[in-house]
Amino acid sequence: MELFGNFAGGLAVALEPMNLFYCLIGVLVGTLVGVLPGIGPVATVAMLLPVTFYLPAVSALIMLAGIYYGAQYGSSTTAILVNLPGENSSIITCLDGYQMARAGRAGPALAVAALGSLFAGIVATFFIALFAPPLAEIGLMFGPAEYFSLMLLGLVAAVVLAQESLLGALAMVALGLLLSMIGTDIDSGVVRMNFGLVDLNDGIGFVPLAMGLFAVAEVIRNLEPKAPVAVLPERIAGLWPSREDFRRSFPAVLRGTAIGSFLGLLPGGGAMLASFAAYTLEKRVSGEPARFGTGAVEGVAAPESANNAAAQTSFIPLLTLGIPSNAVIALMAGAMMIHGIQPGPQVMTKNPDLFWGVIASMLVGNAMLVLINLPLIGIWVRLLRAPYRLFYPVLLVFCCIGVYSLNGSAVDLVLLMLFGIMGYGFLKWGLEAAPLLLAFVLGPLMEENLRRAMLLANGDSTTFLIRPISLALLLLAALLLIVVLLPALGRLRAAAFKEGP
Amino acid sequence: MTPKGPTDVLAGGFLMAVAVVALVATSDLRMGTAMRMGPGYMPTALGWILLGFGFVLLLRGCLRPGRALAAWAVRPLLLVSVAVGLFGLLLERLGLVAAILALVLIAALGGRDRRPAESLLLALGLAFFAVLLFVKGLGLAMPIWPEGLG
Repeated sequence: MELFGNFAGGLAVALEPMNLFYCLIGVLVGTLVGVLPGIGPVATVAMLLPVTFYLPAVSALIMLAGIYYGAQYGSSTTAILVNLPGENSSIITCLDGYQMARAGRAGPALAVAALGSLFAGIVATFFIALFAPPLAEIGLMFGPAEYFSLMLLGLVAAVVLAQESLLGALAMVALGLLLSMIGTDIDSGVVRMNFGLVDLNDGIGFVPLAMGLFAVAEVIRNLEPKAPVAVLPERIAGLWPSREDFRRSFPAVLRGTAIGSFLGLLPGGGAMLASFAAYTLEKRVSGEPARFGTGAVEGVAAPESANNAAAQTSFIPLLTLGIPSNAVIALMAGAMMIHGIQPGPQVMTKNPDLFWGVIASMLVGNAMLVLINLPLIGIWVRLLRAPYRLFYPVLLVFCCIGVYSLNGSAVDLVLLMLFGIMGYGFLKWGLEAAPLLLAFVLGPLMEENLRRAMLLANGDSTTFLIRPISLALLLLAALLLIVVLLPALGRLRAAAFKEGP
Repeated sequence: MTPKGPTDVLAGGFLMAVAVVALVATSDLRMGTAMRMGPGYMPTALGWILLGFGFVLLLRGCLRPGRALAAWAVRPLLLVSVAVGLFGLLLERLGLVAAILALVLIAALGGRDRRPAESLLLALGLAFFAVLLFVKGLGLAMPIWPEGLG
């Protein structure tokens, strides 16, 4: 029962007054940014990264984690009430949630979303506690070849999950890897691509890149003349779901939690994919699929539990293998490194307090979310009515100070500006910034492991295919690509036949 | 011939341009061998890969119908970026208060409805709050006032 001992130790860490406080701050801020459209967890975590420098590592990670899963809660609130998902993981909740709200059942929809998320959060926490240790042991067996293949799989998964063009996502991965090469090469000490600027010798900072691409670009887009404006919601009456609601949503929550926990585990996976998959499954197993889209409570319960479960289990690859699986988690990796902790299988043995403390804090945080959120819904809704013109200058000030404070370098602010412009261009061109960011984080690790693997194998690149774990990972990556490409190929062929003679 | 997917053409062209810049910048780095990769190995390889992806994207834009060009909101783009850049220029020279005033007031010009009095109030409030929180509270090292003053 070592597991319980560890977990109890973690709980003790999570329940320390200071950590409780930062957990509360995290979930509150997370809910806030989840509610507000136009600012997501990526930008928020990036903005708070400099602040975490002044906190102990455990408190910092507990707070940042709270922001991530708190945002999943918050965004469901606006999805249900005003048909406006705060984050993309709640897009699917709009379908049935908003219909329920229009039928005067906003209260039960919100309650089901919150309780479903709570359940999923608890299950996912135990899932992490159970599966992380064995995975970390596998991680310890990884050599450079395995690490390289694993990261390649993560990048392929990120590409495959891109909503827009596959080709565009692949290009963004290449660009992200290229950007990560700027600065001094750790192997030879040679400075690469600094364009004569000494300030670039240490490479491009992750924070200016992330904030430029996400926060600044998003601000510019929201200032467009035709950006959507939220409609005011009506009063909410009666929170508690009916017995019928409970009966329908309970199995949906179970399935959503299972799907979410699993999909969060995949590198490149995360909350959004999980919510879509859970909704699709629910519709398929339902006896009356026609009810979906007209206010079916299962259509709220399943995706909301799934996105919360996935938000949490996506910590597993980071904590056990050192591989961030999406942009938010990549920022957490950054936070760990700021505190001198190298994410990977050693975290569990070297920093057990941190590992188990963060996991246990998820349990605490989820309970807090339900307790504070249901009563606070009215306040969140009122916040939605705050005009954006008051909101975005605050956002910009926080971004700028945050970027500057990390290195005390004015050049970082110029980079922030450039990446903001670039990010806006990407938005306009249908190129997604998320794969770029993931590639940027993985880039140095990939290069290092590739070099080492090749050196160990005397320059023989078949080493990646001979080693079984590496081969399995590569095959998985290839399989993913083929699965996605096949329908595209089919369509292309169909189009070719149509245009043919 | 007008391209069928102008957005893809632009995006592809941009990526190709970045790739060319990277290839030129890495041209003087030692490549090394596959066994002992030099500092130039990965960047050069990635430069070519990016060039390839950019080219295919551009080609696709020329041949296959894609999304139409979306209008760029020039005003917010210009004013928000100038505001951020100026913050960087001013912070070390004129201090945090001046930098925040410039940032907020210029960024406010990029918004949809402009209310000068409200923006000024917001800017002053933010400057006060930021000095209190970041400089006094968190102890970040940055000047508050222009050199020689305060």
